[in-house]
Amino acid sequence: MDRLKQLMMEQKSKLISMFILAVLSGFAIIGQAYLFVIIVDRIFLKGYGFSQVIPLLIGLLAVLLTRTLFTYLNLRTGIKMASTIKGKLRRSLLNKYSNSPLQASLHGQSGQKVSVMMDTVDGIDSYFSSYIPQVIQSTVIPLMLLVVIFMEHWTTGIIILITAPFIPVFMMIIGFKTRDKSEEQFDQMAAFSGTFLDTLQGLTTLKLFGKSQQQKEKIRNSSLRFRDTTMEVLKIAFTNSLALEFISMLSVGLVALEIAVRLIIFQDITFFTGFLMLIIAPEFFTKLKDLGSAFHTGRTSMGAAKKLEEELTETIQNVEWGSVPIVSTEPPHIELNQAGFSYNTDGFALRNITHEIQPYEQVAIVGKSGSGKSTMLNMIAGLISPMNGEIRINGKKREQLREHDWFDHLSYISQDPYLFSGTIADNIAIGSSKGASRTEIIKAAEKAGIDILIQSLDHGYDTQIGEAGRGISVGERQRIAVARAFLKRPSVILFDEPTTGLDLQTEQILQASIKELGKNSTIITVAHRLHTIKNADKILLLEDGELRASGSHEDLLNSDAVYRKMVTVQQGGMAQ
Amino acid sequence: MKGLGSVITVLLKEKRDIILSIICGVLAGITSVGLFSSSGYLISQAALAPPIYTLMVLVAVVKLLGIISAVSRYGERYFSHRGTFTMLSNLRVSFYEKMEPLVPAIFQKYRSGDLLARIVGDIETLQNYFLRVFYPPIVIVLVFLVTIFFTSIFSLEAALIILAGLLLTTFIVPALFGWRQQNIDRRVRESRGELSTEVTEFLYGFRDLKIYQQVNKKESELLHSSDAYLEEQERENFQKIFSESVNTFVSLLVSVSVLAVGAYLVTTGQLNGVFLALLVMISLTVFENTTAMAIYPSYLQDSRQAVSRLDTVVNDQEYHLPDNNNDTVMKGIAPSVEVKNMCFSFPGEKRNTLKDISFSLPEGSKTAIVGASGSGKSTIMQLLLKIYPPSDGMIAYNQQSIEKLSQETIWENVNVVLQSNHFFYGTVRENLELAKGGLNEEEMQHILRNVQLDHLSLDDQVMEKGGNLSGGEKQRLALARAMLRRAPFWLLDEPTSSVDAVTEKELYDRLLELAQDDTVVLISHRLTGLEKMDQIIVMEQGLIIEQGTYDELMGRKGYFYQMKEIEQSVFGGE
Repeated sequence: MDRLKQLMMEQKSKLISMFILAVLSGFAIIGQAYLFVIIVDRIFLKGYGFSQVIPLLIGLLAVLLTRTLFTYLNLRTGIKMASTIKGKLRRSLLNKYSNSPLQASLHGQSGQKVSVMMDTVDGIDSYFSSYIPQVIQSTVIPLMLLVVIFMEHWTTGIIILITAPFIPVFMMIIGFKTRDKSEEQFDQMAAFSGTFLDTLQGLTTLKLFGKSQQQKEKIRNSSLRFRDTTMEVLKIAFTNSLALEFISMLSVGLVALEIAVRLIIFQDITFFTGFLMLIIAPEFFTKLKDLGSAFHTGRTSMGAAKKLEEELTETIQNVEWGSVPIVSTEPPHIELNQAGFSYNTDGFALRNITHEIQPYEQVAIVGKSGSGKSTMLNMIAGLISPMNGEIRINGKKREQLREHDWFDHLSYISQDPYLFSGTIADNIAIGSSKGASRTEIIKAAEKAGIDILIQSLDHGYDTQIGEAGRGISVGERQRIAVARAFLKRPSVILFDEPTTGLDLQTEQILQASIKELGKNSTIITVAHRLHTIKNADKILLLEDGELRASGSHEDLLNSDAVYRKMVTVQQGGMAQ
Repeated sequence: MKGLGSVITVLLKEKRDIILSIICGVLAGITSVGLFSSSGYLISQAALAPPIYTLMVLVAVVKLLGIISAVSRYGERYFSHRGTFTMLSNLRVSFYEKMEPLVPAIFQKYRSGDLLARIVGDIETLQNYFLRVFYPPIVIVLVFLVTIFFTSIFSLEAALIILAGLLLTTFIVPALFGWRQQNIDRRVRESRGELSTEVTEFLYGFRDLKIYQQVNKKESELLHSSDAYLEEQERENFQKIFSESVNTFVSLLVSVSVLAVGAYLVTTGQLNGVFLALLVMISLTVFENTTAMAIYPSYLQDSRQAVSRLDTVVNDQEYHLPDNNNDTVMKGIAPSVEVKNMCFSFPGEKRNTLKDISFSLPEGSKTAIVGASGSGKSTIMQLLLKIYPPSDGMIAYNQQSIEKLSQETIWENVNVVLQSNHFFYGTVRENLELAKGGLNEEEMQHILRNVQLDHLSLDDQVMEKGGNLSGGEKQRLALARAMLRRAPFWLLDEPTSSVDAVTEKELYDRLLELAQDDTVVLISHRLTGLEKMDQIIVMEQGLIIEQGTYDELMGRKGYFYQMKEIEQSVFGGE
């Protein structure tokens, strides 16, 4: 909420112009009322000729035009304000995510973040585009009307002043009584509305079990229950406006009665004043009623605002970079010094990792799931920063290096590489920062063993991602990632070896490719294959976030019981 | 419009609420016009110093009209909303009826849960159809007709002006803007789609973007799309308030015209001056409700689009399978299944997902189908279930071609565990009872023990989509459901992929015990525990590349053997 206010305050000039526009609309409304009354009065009682009121009619037209114009401009300013603020919110969200979105994607929350960026930001709209303009109008204009009323006929003013406060009082009484009830009902409503989706999602299961017919009644019943609960809540809102209507009617009725009595019995006011009051008083209440409905729309935005607030105040760990260039194209010397990392909530994912990785070394990281293998890979990659300790590259702290140079030397082949919208060629070319020719792309694809498959598609390398039939399988995506690496020729390769589920061909290609790429680079693999581990120069065994042991296969086999157990279970076949 | 016709049919079932909303709406409209016009008349009369009793009568009339107006406004809101929600319920049911026969084949085409969320959203959108498209114009026109008739008693000229105003504000202005709205709507949708893609790519592909140094480029692309989207939204909203303003101005213009004409008639003596205020008040009040008509076209447009999207889903001819019912064949005994030269490609796709598949499942045999993900294992199961017909070749149950069997007959006789099984919001008991009617507590509890879920009680809550169960628990619950069904044919698609190896073995043992005399097909990407199978079918890229018993395949040292080698070398307790 504070953030919404703060964002609004940044738009001071718009707020001021909305305020001025509201004042101008107020004048137009008053002018309109005066002109209507003057014309009727002159024709009806004063016996003016028609031609004498023509200028007044033209004036009235002009006033009406300005009234509409001011209202339009007021709303338009609100829309502009909403636009600017939505843009700013998206920008700050993006800024936040791009500094450290990895934690989010590691926790599998990307989908949720997409919806925050799209729907939640859009949900803010009505707060600025209708609620705020309406609030401004509904505070400024009734006050101006009241001033006019008091100037022209103070008793009407007194009647309004006595009756109008009943509106907020009445609303509050109803509001307090029903708030708890309606909140509880909102929960129920959410549950009901979910039933239909739930049923549709489970339709396959229902049909296989021959239960789909019975479900029809369930949908009907839950929809009807949904209706009844919703109606309970709506009834409250309707009663509210009924009460409002009654109060304003009572008030206007009293005004009319008082005027009539004064006109006939006391004869101390004119028709002009009476008619004017009769036109202005309802305008006063209309504006108040508008505020009531605007409040309703405003409230839906509050939820969105709260969510954004939470999203933006969540603390993040920035990854910092410096300006020291990496000159050599040789693989670097990588040194981890007491490095540690923890996610927001549950303890450390990595603790006190100290280790040196020599150029051209083939390193295998092994350990049970949850032991911190992926975190370590991400940390070495420079995608997250160690919270304790440091990482040194060629003796320099990682934070001092130039980001661009570091990533120029790096490839990361994940278990589930992402393909971007665009063609397959584009997706391979992303590997090269310089821009690659078609020949180079095809060569890289050949090396990654995916050329034949790409050629078999209707549009070959120009096939759009998402149009290749039912999509591209995980194995194929990995091969595209390998092609990217062949194009890039990095000096450090990070490889998250697949656990299961690949076909033999992809398995073989991955092994051959990694071997080939390893001739010119350091390779750090989160390893799951025994032969990858056996072939590694060095094995890092992680256990509960700590580096339990390191060394060659033989070393560990001799020295570490845990490692020995893992290997023997493996060689004796899977657990039976 | 053909689409909206079906909505209207559903809508008209709620005649009572529709008629009541219209009556209340008209009453509220007329009385509020009456209220203001009579107070205008009251003040004019008062100026002429009439006898006090005329005034008393008028005041009483004003009060009465006011009360009727407020109460009937309440009634209109109440009945129209109730009607809307009842209609929504009918719409859901009617759509469900249309969609039900197309499932599950249709889910293949629209893969994501996206489609379903969209369907639910589209049906919700239709609630605006009754509330803002269908009945308000009826009410407005009726109120106007009465008002115009009433006005014509005093001044035919004023009545004609109001009629012209009605046509302008209710039909001409909305139609003009509605026509322009269509383009804007489309552009808003397109730019939203673009932004949504950018955001998705940015968040899901962040790691690759970062490493390939495309983050800044993507960021600026994203901001660019965001600006484009904001611009289109702005344009849309400007358009909306502009047409509202135009409508307001037109209605005010009408009131000025009424005033001018009335004034002229008074000066020429054709109209009694006491009615002038009344006429002005009439026209000011009667147009109060027409402002909303300015956005009527955008609601109409939304409803139309929603209906046409829903129509494309349920009218998709590709998924209407001919149903030839011949229920004599499958009757509670373990079937033998014969598949010959079966080919299959998904509708609208060129790549064959299955190529020349032949195998037979003798009565009571146990078969495993293995292969990499994407090799076509699950597709075989879908064809066996007749979710799709094969593009070529044939499938026969007990020598009866599958063409002659209805889906229902097949499903009735199969215990199926899908790769992802759906659980409904409710209790464990309710989810198990789906399997078969008339199950007793003991049976269900016994089965829960069988699948090692005895830590769950039958009364435990299952959240939507089984959200409170782990992957392994969901699989075991699905297996329990299949076990309770006791049909003689089992089709199990990776039923234990999220269960640890030890538990998996125990589950397989229980399963084979229960299914001793039944025909069983087990799809698996793990290669353990297959030693007892009568045959193993090995798939790669839509082809059967090996077939035989465990020992035969291992002895042959072919594809299966190599897969097994890789599996055994997979390290660590994943």
